[in-house]
Amino acid sequence: MTAMDWTSTAGLLAGRVAIVTGASGGVGRGLARALALAGARVVVAARSPAGGGETVAQIEAEGGQALFVATDVCDRDAVRRTVEAAVQAFGGLDIVVHNAASTVARPTSLEDIDDALWAEQAGVSLDALHHLAHAALPHLRDTGRGRFLVLSSAQGQHGGAMNPAYTALKAAQRGFVKALAREWGPHDIVVNALAPAALTDAARAYLEADPERTREAMKSFPLGRMGDMRDDIGPAAVAMCSDLWRYVTGQTVNVDGGYYTAL
Amino acid sequence: MTLSTSPPGALDGALALVVELGLPVMSGVAEGLRDAGAEVVVLRDPRLAGSSDEVDAALAAALGPGRAPALVVLSLLGEATTALGPLDGVDLQAWRAGAAEPIRIAMRVLTALGARMKPAGRGAILFLAPSLSLVGGAGMVALSTALEGQRGLMKSVARQWGASGVTVNWAAAAPRALSPHFDAADLAAKGDAVPVALGRRPDARTEIAGLAAWLAGPAGRGVTGATLMIDGGEWMAP
Repeated sequence: MTAMDWTSTAGLLAGRVAIVTGASGGVGRGLARALALAGARVVVAARSPAGGGETVAQIEAEGGQALFVATDVCDRDAVRRTVEAAVQAFGGLDIVVHNAASTVARPTSLEDIDDALWAEQAGVSLDALHHLAHAALPHLRDTGRGRFLVLSSAQGQHGGAMNPAYTALKAAQRGFVKALAREWGPHDIVVNALAPAALTDAARAYLEADPERTREAMKSFPLGRMGDMRDDIGPAAVAMCSDLWRYVTGQTVNVDGGYYTAL
Repeated sequence: MTLSTSPPGALDGALALVVELGLPVMSGVAEGLRDAGAEVVVLRDPRLAGSSDEVDAALAAALGPGRAPALVVLSLLGEATTALGPLDGVDLQAWRAGAAEPIRIAMRVLTALGARMKPAGRGAILFLAPSLSLVGGAGMVALSTALEGQRGLMKSVARQWGASGVTVNWAAAAPRALSPHFDAADLAAKGDAVPVALGRRPDARTEIAGLAAWLAGPAGRGVTGATLMIDGGEWMAP
């Protein structure tokens, strides 16, 4: 595998302002770094000041501009303040990436889903979309090149058996994207979803615990590996947020090394 | 054209449950299942939107204790889900009621149905819904979100329950064949010269009920987690 040549994306998002939710680590941090490497000024929206601050530090070390804003995406007022902070600090808003997701990922049977689990997952998956869409719409409409990108999961497409609540909510986000793409198309706002197979810290720990299982699992990836958050998933997100993909909307794009070829 | 009814006897003596919450879309389906020989119970009970205990009580009132239907056709479109209008005019309460709650309701209803059907070792559950969520629609963000969420749930549950012999599928029907409510909707239109291959909407009594009867029969037992487009060949998705 050759290293990602980031000079090829330099300037693709120059002058753009992006908010990335859940950017205090993992996929969100990788996306925030990728958008910044492509020239965007990035608001790192997350609950954790420590993790968010580290993301900002990494972006700045790579020559980018970023601002951490403490954000609970389930809190409507917090989301509104984050959008206002982006506009105040950077002069506008062009890109919203909703990456924040529930941290509850344990296998769960349908019968074991209780109201507390549902509320936690639905809040970060669906309430957050409502808050972000409401707060961002005036700015995305003004910019004429608005992008609303939802980090989804192939589980919502193929019907993951691990957790019906998670699967249903990821599928719901796909319905949201399709409908909102039609609704916001007249405003030149592009709405898409990206479903990654990302080598997060959790995925890495799971795989490293059993090398044989890892070898078997990697056979399912035509590219033979899970994606690096910054260098594999990030560039796809950059393209989707740039002018290169301005005619693609309402789609769920699987960025997964070819894992799911049937969706 | 004269349409024949479902094959008489296809569901001979089988218990079929038709569940409808909110927007009426089942017109003709119950009659079609009776045509196929089923004993049909229609359940329209606001308790379906309540707690797990209330859902269990609604099912018990309709079916009696412990009876397991061989076929369930259900639509769980709450009234809030079907409100039409741009997202920026939908407040948080309406959003939750329209987008999230129908998914949670579907979870509770499926759980209650599974408690009856899985021990029986077989049975077919078919969601009946408008196809609009597969293509999206302006003014229908909450509805599309709820429907796709229920469809994703259907797939996940189909995997979890597969070994039990209970199948779970999704019928995506032409919206205006289900309800005149969608006459006012800004539905996405297929731009081909022949936008609907069959040139007409599906007939609920014969064709939607017939599809459900087929899924409940021996030939349909190998189909689960599927989205079956019953739109006359409009979208031909995927």
